[in-house]
Order: sequence, then C-alpha cells, then structure tokens
Amino acid sequence: MDRIYRVIPERCIACGKCELACAFAHGGEGKPGVSRISIHRRGPDLGVPIVCLQCDDAACVAVCPVHALSRNEATGAIEVDYGKCVNCRMCVAACPFGNMLWDETWHCVAKCDLCHGAPKCVPFCPTGALEYIPADRAGRTPEKVAPGVLRSELIASRP
Amino acid sequence: MPRLVIDGKTVVAKEGTFLLQAAREAGIDIPTLCEHPAVEPYGGCRMCLVDVTRPEWDGWSKMVVSCLFPVEDGIIVSTKSERVMNTRRVVIDLLLARCPNTPLVQKMAAEYGIEKTSYVQNPEPTDCILCGLCTRVCDEMGTSAISSSSRGAGREIAPPFNEPPPDCIGCLACAEICPTGFIKYETSNSKRVIWNKEFEMLRCPTCGRGHITKAQAAWHDGKVPGRYFEQCDACKRKAQAAMAVTLMGGSQIR
Repeated sequence: MDRIYRVIPERCIACGKCELACAFAHGGEGKPGVSRISIHRRGPDLGVPIVCLQCDDAACVAVCPVHALSRNEATGAIEVDYGKCVNCRMCVAACPFGNMLWDETWHCVAKCDLCHGAPKCVPFCPTGALEYIPADRAGRTPEKVAPGVLRSELIASRP
Repeated sequence: MPRLVIDGKTVVAKEGTFLLQAAREAGIDIPTLCEHPAVEPYGGCRMCLVDVTRPEWDGWSKMVVSCLFPVEDGIIVSTKSERVMNTRRVVIDLLLARCPNTPLVQKMAAEYGIEKTSYVQNPEPTDCILCGLCTRVCDEMGTSAISSSSRGAGREIAPPFNEPPPDCIGCLACAEICPTGFIKYETSNSKRVIWNKEFEMLRCPTCGRGHITKAQAAWHDGKVPGRYFEQCDACKRKAQAAMAVTLMGGSQIR
C-alpha cells in the first residue's frame, strides 16, 4: 500500500464526473453500477465527495457472517468477494459512514475497491479534489478554519 | 502438493482442497446445485459426481461427489465419462419429477437432453430442490432457525414444528441464497414477514426508511456498536458530508 486516496472537499465543484466514472467502471453490459462515491451538494457548484474510508478496524468486516470482506494488501482497499457474499446486507447497515451500498441494478452490495489500484474517478476530477498519491506525500497542512466554527465548538464544549 | 489428472489434464492442487475446487481452479467445469463458497460443502445434490481411478486399480473406478472428495496424489479423474453423465441424468430426471415448473431445473435438464421426466411427476410441484443452501447459510449466520424436516418423499425445509421460528432474525439470507426463489418474504418500511414470522423494522430516525429488522440489530450488537445501525446508509453519508462542511467552516448541506 504505497498510495493513498485523498479527498479535498474544498476543491469539489459538484460536477458529478467522479460518480459517472465510478458507475460505469463498476457496471457492464451497458448497465452502470451504483456509484461508490457520492457528492453531497451544498450549493450550485459546491459539493462534498463521500467515499469509503477503508477503515483499519472496519465495521463491515466485523459484521460479515461469511467473511466475504477482506483487505487487499496491495492496494489497502477492503474488497468484497462476490463468490462468498450471501447478500445479507449487514455491512450496509453496519458501516457508520454509510459507505457500504446496495446496488439495485446488479443486486449485490457495493463498496469502493479503489478500482484495484487505479481509481477511475481520479483522472475525471477536473479540480483535483480527488487524488491518488504516494503515501509519503499524502499529509497536508490543515487549512484555515473559519472563526465561526471555533466559536461554535467552544460553546458546545462548555458544561 | 498432490498431482492428479482431471480429464487428461495434469493438475497440481493445493493440499487439503476438494476435487471440485481443484477442477474449477484448473478451468474444468463441474455442474453443481448445492455448492456455494460461503458455506461448507454438503454433497446433497449429487450433480458434481465424478469418476475416480488409479493406474493400479486395473480399470476399476469409483464414483465420488467431487465437492467432498479431498484431492489425492496420483488419482485420475474423469468428469464427463459416460457413467458420470448417465448418473447425472438420473439425478436431474428425478429433480425434474419433483420440480417440473422450476426454470433452473428445466434449464439443467435441457442441457442433459431431458425434456420430460421419465418418472411419475410430483402431483404438488414445488420449487424447493432440497439443496440445503438456506439451512447452511442460516447456520453460518449463527441463528440456525430453519432446518430440513421429515424424511424421504416428505422431506422439506421448514422452521421447527412449522411454527414461526423463534431464532429467526429476518435477515433474508436464506431467501437471497435460494437458487430457485422458493423462499418467499414480504418487506416494507414498517414490517417484514418471512417463515410466517413478523418482524418490526428498525427505522431510520431521519428519513423513516426501515433498513433492517430490530432482531437483526440486536443479533449483531456487540460485533460493532449498536448505534451504528440506527440510521440508514444514505442518512449516514449525509451526516458525514455535513460534518466535513462544518469542519471546513462552510454553510450547511442543503
């Protein structure tokens, strides 16, 4: 696992190209799959891409009764073994971030598998909100937090 | 590593695997009805029968179910011999007598050249082929709510005493794995009914969608914190996006 998938929501313009790229990369026979990445729009041209975090101690892996979910050590992604999966959908209910999906078209569970090491969404992102970069370059300086947020956090932390 | 010959092809199999797996890994197809990688092999459908022999057996061979036969060094396997095909034909002929209206059985029978069963047709056609996938997946879930009951012609898959099964959590794994769609259920946002048992759904407090049953959430509580099950996946994604926006100091998600 020498590369890391990074999302910079500040750069997202909610164009939806990543969703399309993902849906078609995971489809076939002319039928797109469900998009593993979803953009939550917060304005006409502002969005937040939400995608699987590939958790270290993942809830989806913990609940799977047939051990169909496992980590691909080469890419670091947790992948579904569709041969083993029995479609009980416990992983969909258990993911605390909602990033395990149910694909109605293909009748199977779906999650980001980092396209086995070459995420198709990344080259389609026009603003660089999605990156797949070497792990040693993935750290970034925190961007300025608006004063309003700090104030609200301060109020929330008061007893 | 055991070396064996399957249909004239030399195959090096992994130690401890079964013949069916070794053949499939070598690209040789063996038909099955009761096999699924998620559950233990069962040997119930008898479709995966193959002929096994050894050079020192002077032409004698034995028929084994490949899903339960561990690979051995030096065996010679034939998956399409006349004897194997005839036996499979008997199996599928009997299945067609039991389930004359089931598309899966009809398709497989057609592949073996059978259009109509040569046995007396079941007066009460059923879709259940007794493959046992549902009971085995239920065991795998840890609930073991259903099992096969009775013997012989009266054998069927049923909950204990044909009453709503007390151990069922309504996960629908049995219905999903059933190859013929025999197991029926109804599900809505408020309730789910399977095996005549009614379940109350756990409803997302944000959007009201009933995504799993309350019994399912209780069963899996502890493997992950129970609060993970409260919201539905779409609302959890939305909450995640809202949190990201708050951290960025922006306005809320619409």
